[in-house]
Amino acid sequence: MNYLIRDSLDHCVKCTICETYCPVSQVTPLFPGPKYIGPQAERYRGAGPSPDSSVDYCSGCGICTQVCPQDVKIAEINSRARAKLWEKRGIPLRNQMIARPTVIGRLGTPVAPIANWALHNRAVRRMVQRVVGVHRDAPMPSFAGRTFQRRSRTHHGPAGAPAVVYFHGCGTNYYEPILGEMVVAVLEHNGFRVVVPPQDCCGLPLQSNGNFPAARTYVRRLVGRLVPYAREGLPIVANSTSCGLMLKREANEILGIEDDDLKVVSESMYDLCEFLLRLHDRGALRTDFASLPLTVPYHAPCQQRGHGIGKPALDLLALVPDLTMIELDADCCGIAGTYGLKKEKYEISMAVGKRLFDDITASGSDTAACDSETCRWQIAHGTGVTAVHPVELLYRAYGLGGRRQPGPVPAAHRATPVNG
Amino acid sequence: MATQNTSMSSLEADVLVIGGGSTGAGVARDAALRGFSTILVERRDLTDGTTGRFHGLLHSGGRYAVKDPSAARECIAENRILRVTAADCVEDTGGMFVSTPWDDPEYGDLFLDGCRATGVPAEEISVAEALHREPRVNPDIRRAFLVPDAALDPWKLVWGCVRSAEEHGARILPYHNVLDLEVDGDRVVGAHVRSEQSGEEFRIRARVVINAAGAWAGQIAKLAGCTVNVRAGMGLMIAMNHRLVHMCVNRCKRPSDGDILLPLRTACVIGTTDVFVPDPDQTEIRQADIDLLLDEGEKLVPGFRQARALHAWAGVRPLFEDKAEVADTRDVTRSHALLDHSSREGIAGFLTITGGKTTTFRLMAEAAVDAACQQLGGPRACRTAEVPLAGSENHAMYRIGHRLAVREPVPQAEEIICECELVTRGRLEETIRQRDTTSLDDIRRLLRLGMGPCQGGFCIYRATGILHEGGHVDSAAANQTLLEFLDERWKGLHPILHGDQLRQARLDDWIFQGILDVEHLPG
Amino acid sequence: MNYDTVVIGAGLAGLTAALRLTEQGQRVLVVARGVGATHLSPATLDVLGYVGNTRVESPAQSVASLVASTPDHPYGHVSEAQRGAALAWFVTRAATALGYMGSVEENLLLPTALGVPKPAAFAPRTMAGGDLRAGGRFVFVGFKGFKDFHPTLIAGNVARAGLAAPIAARALELEPPASGRGDLSGRVLAGRFDTEQLGDWLVSALEGRVDPDERIGVPAVLGLRSGDAAWQTLEQRLERTVFEIPTLPPSIPGIRLFNALTSALRAGGARVVLGVRAAGARVEDGRIEAVAVTNATGTVSHPTRSVVLASGGFASGGIELDSFGVTRETVFDLPLAGVPDTDHVHFEPGYFDSQPLARAGVPTDDLLRPVGGGGRPVYPNLHAAGATLGGAVPWKEKSGTGISVITGYAAAEAILRPAPVPMSESAR
Repeated sequence: MNYLIRDSLDHCVKCTICETYCPVSQVTPLFPGPKYIGPQAERYRGAGPSPDSSVDYCSGCGICTQVCPQDVKIAEINSRARAKLWEKRGIPLRNQMIARPTVIGRLGTPVAPIANWALHNRAVRRMVQRVVGVHRDAPMPSFAGRTFQRRSRTHHGPAGAPAVVYFHGCGTNYYEPILGEMVVAVLEHNGFRVVVPPQDCCGLPLQSNGNFPAARTYVRRLVGRLVPYAREGLPIVANSTSCGLMLKREANEILGIEDDDLKVVSESMYDLCEFLLRLHDRGALRTDFASLPLTVPYHAPCQQRGHGIGKPALDLLALVPDLTMIELDADCCGIAGTYGLKKEKYEISMAVGKRLFDDITASGSDTAACDSETCRWQIAHGTGVTAVHPVELLYRAYGLGGRRQPGPVPAAHRATPVNG
Repeated sequence: MATQNTSMSSLEADVLVIGGGSTGAGVARDAALRGFSTILVERRDLTDGTTGRFHGLLHSGGRYAVKDPSAARECIAENRILRVTAADCVEDTGGMFVSTPWDDPEYGDLFLDGCRATGVPAEEISVAEALHREPRVNPDIRRAFLVPDAALDPWKLVWGCVRSAEEHGARILPYHNVLDLEVDGDRVVGAHVRSEQSGEEFRIRARVVINAAGAWAGQIAKLAGCTVNVRAGMGLMIAMNHRLVHMCVNRCKRPSDGDILLPLRTACVIGTTDVFVPDPDQTEIRQADIDLLLDEGEKLVPGFRQARALHAWAGVRPLFEDKAEVADTRDVTRSHALLDHSSREGIAGFLTITGGKTTTFRLMAEAAVDAACQQLGGPRACRTAEVPLAGSENHAMYRIGHRLAVREPVPQAEEIICECELVTRGRLEETIRQRDTTSLDDIRRLLRLGMGPCQGGFCIYRATGILHEGGHVDSAAANQTLLEFLDERWKGLHPILHGDQLRQARLDDWIFQGILDVEHLPG
Repeated sequence: MNYDTVVIGAGLAGLTAALRLTEQGQRVLVVARGVGATHLSPATLDVLGYVGNTRVESPAQSVASLVASTPDHPYGHVSEAQRGAALAWFVTRAATALGYMGSVEENLLLPTALGVPKPAAFAPRTMAGGDLRAGGRFVFVGFKGFKDFHPTLIAGNVARAGLAAPIAARALELEPPASGRGDLSGRVLAGRFDTEQLGDWLVSALEGRVDPDERIGVPAVLGLRSGDAAWQTLEQRLERTVFEIPTLPPSIPGIRLFNALTSALRAGGARVVLGVRAAGARVEDGRIEAVAVTNATGTVSHPTRSVVLASGGFASGGIELDSFGVTRETVFDLPLAGVPDTDHVHFEPGYFDSQPLARAGVPTDDLLRPVGGGGRPVYPNLHAAGATLGGAVPWKEKSGTGISVITGYAAAEAILRPAPVPMSESAR
């Protein structure tokens, strides 16, 4: 597998299509584009470390691979080259830190109020930028204080109902546990018992920061938790579309993990909206939606498009009466996981997302929908609107929160401006 | 044989070298370094003969250790010298001999014995380690040995020699054809040449003429009434789009066809074959040979046939055989031969240096100039084993990532004309000026422009525009050089056109004909 | 999700078919490995430019005689009426944003980026002003740092084009405001026209330097998202004819066309999924019941009533030739025509020689359904369009986009109105 990614460079006919879509090379000359850094530069990389540091400016959004008409695994080649680069240089402390959301989560959760105050305090953020290298304006979520894992311990679903396994990811666990509760409620409403195994980070931030060995450890640990259920034939749903893609594809293609356990888990993995739409296709999705008279712009994250499943969120939300979803066509919000947090990349990230921000603002809506938590935080930061996961609209339309009308949005989802 | 013609203009030198390959360039450099006034003539562009068409293996000698021990000894000695004196032309890839399931593993013992006897450093390593170094190599190999093979850039080598020679007063004349040799009684006194670019004919008078015309040496010798039995052994090579291997990988067996796969700059090359051809200028690529190389490649690297074949070409190796007929040209020694025609045919002032291989070019040149010294007033010391070539003074060997690294930190600080091979506009314009050439094909050899995967699909339009804008050619000539480039590159493409490269060729058709409409360019 | 039609391929043929079907009320899914050749080709509607070495003046007339002499040509499977309907629909309904100008009765002659007059039936309004047939005076403008456009060479060749009306041409090279980039791609330049009002700079750079009767030829980079706003600004403020000239990929006009077509598809409720691979079909009773599509994890089956195969030819991998000399259509393994009978494919030694495989492709009936032995459709509900069809050498005869639009439309029509067309009505 190691060489199948590199070998795919043979398919490159230099057509430039990837370069026309790369959102990063469009806004900065520091990144020469996916064709250059991927199949072209790969021919110059020998057995040793990568001689080109500009590969670090690739955000890993993966759009290049999606649009390539010749099956070149461009983003994957870049990812690997970046890992080799950092292997030679040594990964800086900042990248090690932000690549471990579980560690940050565990540290911040018990002292959530203070941690939240600090993360949104201007002076503290300036110091953090200087010392650690995280940009002072980069969007930071708030610790919820009580993790989703803890909350789910005390929740018991309908006994005897068919089970579905919930892979909630770090974002839901530490920052958006209420979203996790909504996911469970929607699945239970449709007759499932939701199993929430103890689980940890999928390793995606470690991978995108070039720490492949640590990323592989994380993947294996997580797979170890999930595989017993997968082997029983239970489906696994992920509401974080990027974490879902990590287990579906990237852990194998980029990290090169060939374990059978991973394969079994991948084949059982579904993006949440994908899973719900499949239910609908079988006639098994409850469609008792109340009217939700809103117009909401929807942004499909880059990694959601990487699943290759279309945009199931739109197909689902089309079932809700009076709800109008605007399908945005801007490519990338810019955050790209941890990319936009870095002080040397923050401006690039905001420039990348500008078009999306402008399109959302132009829609006049105060709410936007998006399947990835880091993208939601970026969108909220760049536009001031409230960004929700599509499932939250279903939750509301089902009336599961006890209200049949859209009401005030829970605090966890509000854009938290930097103050003080 | 020409008689004297005093009405033509003439040049004079101590030494006239005929042939602009590695041997000729090496001779010109050696002679110039020894203080002889030197002129080199080459009928086409430098390296156009064998040197520019071989696979670039800087032999450790392992290949000859069993069958041709004297060649092996020469190789390892020269290998060590060139790594230092021609460092910029050498990439330290290292080499490996592997026993595939099709090879007799016991040959490995013969191999080790042969290496020991000839002084070629060889070390057996575990299969696991071999596969760790070269993950694409056939996982079913039985044995593996490390040797100090390396990858040599023949173009850099020849131009390095030529620059060196020019710095010491030599005159280098490519595109000058030798029409005849001038014989005065019992000595060769010079040559009658024609410039292919201007059509001008003139004489070159020299005290010694050194025939370094490689596979064409017999044709040159005949002009002086001498006989040199050089047989042309045609060898086919296929360049694959990227480095499937990072070391020079050889089959551990008696040398035969398709048993070497090695890196060649950004590509890798599978070679080669050996077919006797009566005329070194007539080399036709046969489908059977293409299939043979692809099949042998598949043995070394499973999945080889799915990899992208970029370009195919044939070179002719000069095989000198003093005896009569030889059955298999592979049985002829690869050591070189120095022929002093004053002792062979009684014609003084004329030497032929032939056979050999590029790895031992410096040694061949040394032998030739040593012999020439005898006719030029006495021995003078050869310094080519110590003096580095121009560009190799810091003894830093070439690294594949070089062109990528120099583009950092802002990779697109200037226009990159050939993106596949990272040739910048500045470098292109400088080359056009310095080499005073307007042939895109010459530029291709000098800079590797158009030698990457797209085979000029994007860069040729750009380079043509730049040539024209710089005032080097008018629009008619610009059109012509573009069309010639397309025809020239097709020669190396059409024998191996399949898979990804066919896809590329079809896209290039769309670009050149569909978008640019080159077919209807005005004359 | 159940679809009425699955279209395989997001090139011009696929998007044309998908949009026609969507417009007529079908639920359409477009699946593709990636973006198609729209991004590479000039976006002119090339119906027919050359027959052999003879330049075509009237595509309407020449297509009719071409089809009579080579009935296997893709145009031969589409009636004359439908060919006209396809082009009219495309120009007036599908791609209105580009403002196509021209007619199928006479070809425009537009200069290529090498200065060669190239025939095209229709061109976007930003390009149509370059028609060389009227002759006249031209100034070609290049931008420093943009290596894909060489105005001096264009001027040199255009001036010697040998057309009936005399032409005078010169070149200007301008330096755009600094951007920190020494190497400008067409996409980046177009983006600068969108976001930095580079059009204003260009107006001031050209003001006073262009004679009233000179037409101004610029590279086709005058903005992407902003449509032809920059072009309009230039023409209005300079009071000259300004025209874009397409050059090496990426083709900005082609991207504009792609964006226009995909927006229309989205607005009509069609679904476009990129980065996936069509990998065969589930067949029952000889009909395709579902198309198998491979994505991140595995293969998904999309039930559908009809399928349009618009996966392209060799350039896009819709058809491939392996190292053993075997040619294959890569999605359904359909029978191919125009493939030599030999063990290996032997290409001719001259680049401009007539080459084997040039016309290779999928043979079809008059409903554009791929056929097998005996001329019978392989599947009754599978149609093909675009470069996947054989029988033409589009890059030589300058018919690529024409074939895509016409056969894409015809495939959609064959699905919408499946009644067999009597032989007498299909103009041959």
